Amino acid sequence: MPTAIRLRGLHKRFGETVAVADLDLDIEAGEFFSMLGPSGSGKTTVLRAIAGFEQPTSGTVELFGKDVTSLPPFERPVNTVFQDYALFPHMSVIANVEYGLRVAGTPRNARRARAEEALAAVQLAGLEDRQPHELSGGQRQRVALARAIVLRPDALLLDEPLGALDLKLREQMQVELKQLQRSLGITFVFVTHDQDEALTLSDRVAVFDAGRVVQLGTPREVYDRPANSFVASFVGSSTLLEPPVAKAFGLADHLMAVRPERVSLGAPDGVPGTIAEVIYTGPEHRIVIDLDGLDTRITALEPNIGANAERTRGDRVTVSIDPADATSLEATASS
Amino acid sequence: MTTHRVSAFLAPRRRLQVAGLLTAPVAWLGLVYVVALAALLITAFWTVDGLTGQVQIQWTTENVVEVFTEALYRTVTLRTLGIAAAVTVIDVIVAIPVAFFMAKVANPRARHLLVIAVLAPLWASYLVKVYAWRALLSADGLIGWAGAPLGLDTPGYGIAGVILTLSYLWLPYVIMPIYAGFDRVPDRLLEASADLGARGGVTLMAVVMPMIKPAIIAGSIFAFCLSLGDYITVGIVGGTTQMLGNLVYTNVGAANNLPLAAAISLIPIGIIFLYLAAVRRTGALRSL
Repeated sequence: MPTAIRLRGLHKRFGETVAVADLDLDIEAGEFFSMLGPSGSGKTTVLRAIAGFEQPTSGTVELFGKDVTSLPPFERPVNTVFQDYALFPHMSVIANVEYGLRVAGTPRNARRARAEEALAAVQLAGLEDRQPHELSGGQRQRVALARAIVLRPDALLLDEPLGALDLKLREQMQVELKQLQRSLGITFVFVTHDQDEALTLSDRVAVFDAGRVVQLGTPREVYDRPANSFVASFVGSSTLLEPPVAKAFGLADHLMAVRPERVSLGAPDGVPGTIAEVIYTGPEHRIVIDLDGLDTRITALEPNIGANAERTRGDRVTVSIDPADATSLEATASS
Repeated sequence: MTTHRVSAFLAPRRRLQVAGLLTAPVAWLGLVYVVALAALLITAFWTVDGLTGQVQIQWTTENVVEVFTEALYRTVTLRTLGIAAAVTVIDVIVAIPVAFFMAKVANPRARHLLVIAVLAPLWASYLVKVYAWRALLSADGLIGWAGAPLGLDTPGYGIAGVILTLSYLWLPYVIMPIYAGFDRVPDRLLEASADLGARGGVTLMAVVMPMIKPAIIAGSIFAFCLSLGDYITVGIVGGTTQMLGNLVYTNVGAANNLPLAAAISLIPIGIIFLYLAAVRRTGALRSL
């Protein structure tokens, strides 16, 4: 696959603060690429540098083999869906969607047809003449999406587009975004701090921490094999096992991480402990165990199938971890 | 203890609370605006005893007819309208770039200093500022001196001087609402416009101007209405120029003909009502 977006040595400082530190990144054409990280980790700055809103302190931005570092946003073949939608408040829905075509000089009939097509693609047909303030948050989101895709960009940049929506709507929009990306076949670059969203939607995920990409891979790679303790705790939840604890479980003698759903209870040769907490979450039970003589706690997840409903605080259990399910964090402990 | 009882009594009585809060300001507004305007309107239909100079409650339309038929009043009205319109246009043209710079370009520190710089003249006396302009405009004043190398001379005391001085006086009242208007345009919208392919000029015309139109109109109301009623500036830098305000003032004072003054003052009031009605039609007042 050709490279859609290529960043080389991208560096951005705001005064004394380094927002992005010497970033190299290749995003392939047609992929759903997520930039995941906590706020202030530099992911939005990278997106803004790709769109052209932010001039990098040093480094280059290439779009489809062309260096666009010094080009203004209006000369870049990408479009952005903003976090707060940024709809023009004095224009109707259809005028918002037509805006880019109008600026480009597309004849009236052609642009009306394309705008209606884009609105249909985001399931907003029939709301053409509404004003933005008459729409719900989810509808505004869709208008912003239609306004960006109507220009048929080579890549669509999405800055936490679902952040302001409630959970149900967000889940529905995730599915629609994924379908839209498949049907359009263009590159989506998606910025989010929500790890569920990144894992659900993406072909590949870049995990950001303090201006750097700390891990780049498929959702499965990032979740199953976190590169360091930051990824292990930020993406999903993990229990970090200090070297003596890892050794007690028969794993290596250095820092390891394990996902709660990979911790099993009740094996005869497991590490003994006492249940400190049983948390009912609906589909599963989250069980926190104090391990004997190790001065540490470990969390296990058990599906709610009824049989384990009898576990209660103070019960004695044994805990075991399959070596294949634990991730070594030794090599990256210093990064 | 008593305060507590009063609170407890008022707490469930919303209407009484509202009445308590609004009675004084509404009474004040009613007295100052409605009653004063009504009194003015009525006075215009009274007469003055030619011998004693006393206002008599004797109903006549003579004053109003005179004001609306005599050439003098038509000429002065048109002149006053022209001056007010010129001042409004000049102020809006000057205020837009200044306000844009303040709201969208300057850093927070510079913005703060600029706001103070724009407002500072309002803290100085009106008369001091107008006399300063009288000095500037005089034959050997700063404007003539600075313009001489360029072959320019001071406009002197007359309509041009009045327009210049009024434009200076009302500029802060025009800059501030337009500044607030620019400030309310989120940077995100400018970015979105650029992202969709629009250059700066297109963004300005298609996104920014429609959004700040109400603010520009608000600023223009200040410049227009304040100019329309002014009579002091024209007396100091206007030479022999007369505006409607002068005529009203002369009739209240020297001529001692209050009914005629009231009749003349109906002209600017009517013009302002027409202006506000026109503005209302654009829908700008709703978003103020």
